[in-house]
Amino acid sequence: MNHRPDETGETFSSNAVRLSIGEWCVLLSVLVLAAFSVGGLWRRVEGFEPSRDYRIPYALSEDYWFFQRYCDSMGRANRTLVFGDSFIWGQYVPKEESLTHYLNQEAGSERFVNAGLDGAHPLAMEGLLEHYCGEMRDGEVILHLNLLWLTSPQADLQTEREFNFNHPRLVPQFSPRIPAYGEAFSGRVGVVLTRQLPIFDWIRHLQESYFGSVDLARWTLDHPYANPLRQVTLTLPASEDDLHPDAQPWSARGQGQQELPWVSLESSLQWQAFRRSVELLRARGNRVLIVPGPLNEHMLSPSNAEMYLKLREDATAWLRENGSTVILPPLLPSHLYADLSHPFSGGYALLAQEIWRQMEESPPRPAQEPARPMLAGLSGPG
Amino acid sequence: MLFHSWVFLLFFLTFYAVFLLFKNTRFKDPWLLVCSYVFYGWWNPLYLVLIAWSTTVDFSMVSLMARSRRRRLWLSLSVINNLALLGFFKYGAFVADNLNHLLSSVGLAYSLPHPGVLLPVGISFYVFQSLSYTIDFYRGKIEKEKSLIRYATFVSLFPQLVAGPVERAGNLLPQLRRKVTLTRQDVSDGLSLFVVGLFKKVALADYLALYVDRIYDVPEQFGGTALFFATFAFGWQIYFDFSGYTDMARGIGRLIGIRLMLNFNNPYLATGLGDFWNRWHISLSSWFKDYVYIPLGGNRKGVSATYRNMALTMVISGLWHGAAWTFVIWGALHALGRFATRELERTDLYRTRVPRLAKQILVFAFVTFTWIFFRAASLDDALLIVTRIFSDGWVDPQFPLLMLLLILSVWLYQFTMESRFKPILTAAPVRIGLAVGMILYMTLFASASTQAFIYFQF
Repeated sequence: MNHRPDETGETFSSNAVRLSIGEWCVLLSVLVLAAFSVGGLWRRVEGFEPSRDYRIPYALSEDYWFFQRYCDSMGRANRTLVFGDSFIWGQYVPKEESLTHYLNQEAGSERFVNAGLDGAHPLAMEGLLEHYCGEMRDGEVILHLNLLWLTSPQADLQTEREFNFNHPRLVPQFSPRIPAYGEAFSGRVGVVLTRQLPIFDWIRHLQESYFGSVDLARWTLDHPYANPLRQVTLTLPASEDDLHPDAQPWSARGQGQQELPWVSLESSLQWQAFRRSVELLRARGNRVLIVPGPLNEHMLSPSNAEMYLKLREDATAWLRENGSTVILPPLLPSHLYADLSHPFSGGYALLAQEIWRQMEESPPRPAQEPARPMLAGLSGPG
Repeated sequence: MLFHSWVFLLFFLTFYAVFLLFKNTRFKDPWLLVCSYVFYGWWNPLYLVLIAWSTTVDFSMVSLMARSRRRRLWLSLSVINNLALLGFFKYGAFVADNLNHLLSSVGLAYSLPHPGVLLPVGISFYVFQSLSYTIDFYRGKIEKEKSLIRYATFVSLFPQLVAGPVERAGNLLPQLRRKVTLTRQDVSDGLSLFVVGLFKKVALADYLALYVDRIYDVPEQFGGTALFFATFAFGWQIYFDFSGYTDMARGIGRLIGIRLMLNFNNPYLATGLGDFWNRWHISLSSWFKDYVYIPLGGNRKGVSATYRNMALTMVISGLWHGAAWTFVIWGALHALGRFATRELERTDLYRTRVPRLAKQILVFAFVTFTWIFFRAASLDDALLIVTRIFSDGWVDPQFPLLMLLLILSVWLYQFTMESRFKPILTAAPVRIGLAVGMILYMTLFASASTQAFIYFQF
């Protein structure tokens, strides 16, 4: 039927892949069905039993399909997810000494889940909650507000000079405009469109989990004679326990006091994103507890520390005015900080005591029981 | 705007929705023109000035030809204008560099200024397309187009604007004039062509590019075996890249009721160099045949004149591809290849005793060898690559097996297409299976990086 002139005397092509409209309709229907169901099916194939104090391995930090799966499974168990960046993840501590570990110790049960994601600044967290935690409703979440992301126009992604930052696929692609985000228009359109097709997140999951975060094409260049199918072992990378190589107090590393060029709440893109995240979670019927800081004030000059405290005060005021529960932890002793924001194990233990105490004093969880952070169905996109 | 980009998908969906509304109204051509200019201006809006200039001049020259006796004058002005555009933007730097080199070698301190202009994407394609209109009108082969908008649409029609096929006015303008009748077969054919083209580009060409670029970017760091495999891979990369673009262009054309000409016809199954050029970039080969080779005398003035004309045509074709000596050598090598296979084909022994497969392998090997000059960044690099391929011993080339498997599968498919087993490939389960396989492969395994088409630079 091909490679010969058709009725108009014109040659169709030099290959035979020529489908009728009916064949295309059937084929595309099957492919669309597969695109939306493959993630759910894969969950049944690939084993995942999170251990006690589990936290997402660094290697899977950009595997949002997996993040969603993790949150789904934890939420289904009616547990409290604690969202944040490396502060919640536990940058300088093993997973058994992270904040959620100590919170669980205080609670006497496996209630809190470490949903920290390395580098998840508020603009990225907003995207994560919006696109990958959409089924988390009517439950309880703790959201860490790390004012580290307001310490400079660069951290706030306000600079017109473009640079690579963490989780660009999670940030708003068009509105609000992020001056530091340099992705081309076509790339942004691609991000927006592929978010609607879960199969792309699942493919990314395969790449992150089994192919060293590269696509198969690039992987074969480094493994020219290996069978790629044998890479898919169905065994996910283990939750990491490695300590950060620089695990010593900030003062021992010769870091002096700093003058940070804070951005104002009014102009901060990160703060606006954090506010939207809170509103989103609340709109989904969740009880949202917010833990701002505590940043390492010992590392700031007195005047700079005052600026920080004023920012934190204003942020807290807005959050309380808008119906959120804010848990204000105290400043930790200097030796318990590894850097400007991350504590060591002892710091997390103190924080957990204080957070738990304030939680006990604050109003209880919503009356509806069982509180389910997300729907129980298995048909999630991945 | 690349066909295999998300922004093109958005662009096309918007374009197509409105096109379906306008397709048989007086707004059709203006809409096609506006979208074609948006498509082209996406790279750089300044490019639009050039294409609009070329369009307006050629349209005016034909109008003047139509009502004047000094037809030759207007034709000459059109040719000069087009060649001047091409000369300045494409060859300005090449000429300046070579003249400066010459001046310094004879001890003159003077040097010509470098033009310092960007090569507008696809200029060689639309200039040739526009030029064919004025020449064909001069020869009395086509009628004058009355509408400037339609003529501008012909020159800039976005599916084939930046990398062909180089359409002739005699084929495309009548299609633009006609009422658009879109059938279900047009739509399904358009989809089929587009998917095959997308697969060739995204799954094959871009994949091969990863290996080729790694080696050809620093050839001095690799031995002969790796250079050999990189050259072999490039031969297929450029085929997949360019024919993939053409397939997509033809597919989009079908979706709007326009039939663009076949541009590639399994060129690596050619049994001679002449056959190869009847299968590779057919629209350009026929352009050179009609507007260069035949006007030079073709094969009408004896053997030596025929070979001279052939050589000139091939060298000009080489220069058309790029302003560098490597392209001139590439063209000259193809001219030699054409002489050789032409002479061989005249002998009984070659015609009847040499198996077809052996001829195909011979032609493929020769064409692949010439790609070295086409791909190398400089003449020095090309010579280094040739030397190493023919002198170095075997060193593991780290050539991915998957790459080899894909190439062999395509070759086997094409070989079957031209054999008596072709009906196997046209059976519905095979066609549908291949379409499913291609789409799944592209989705699951294709490289995430988006690369521009090689032929855009020409």
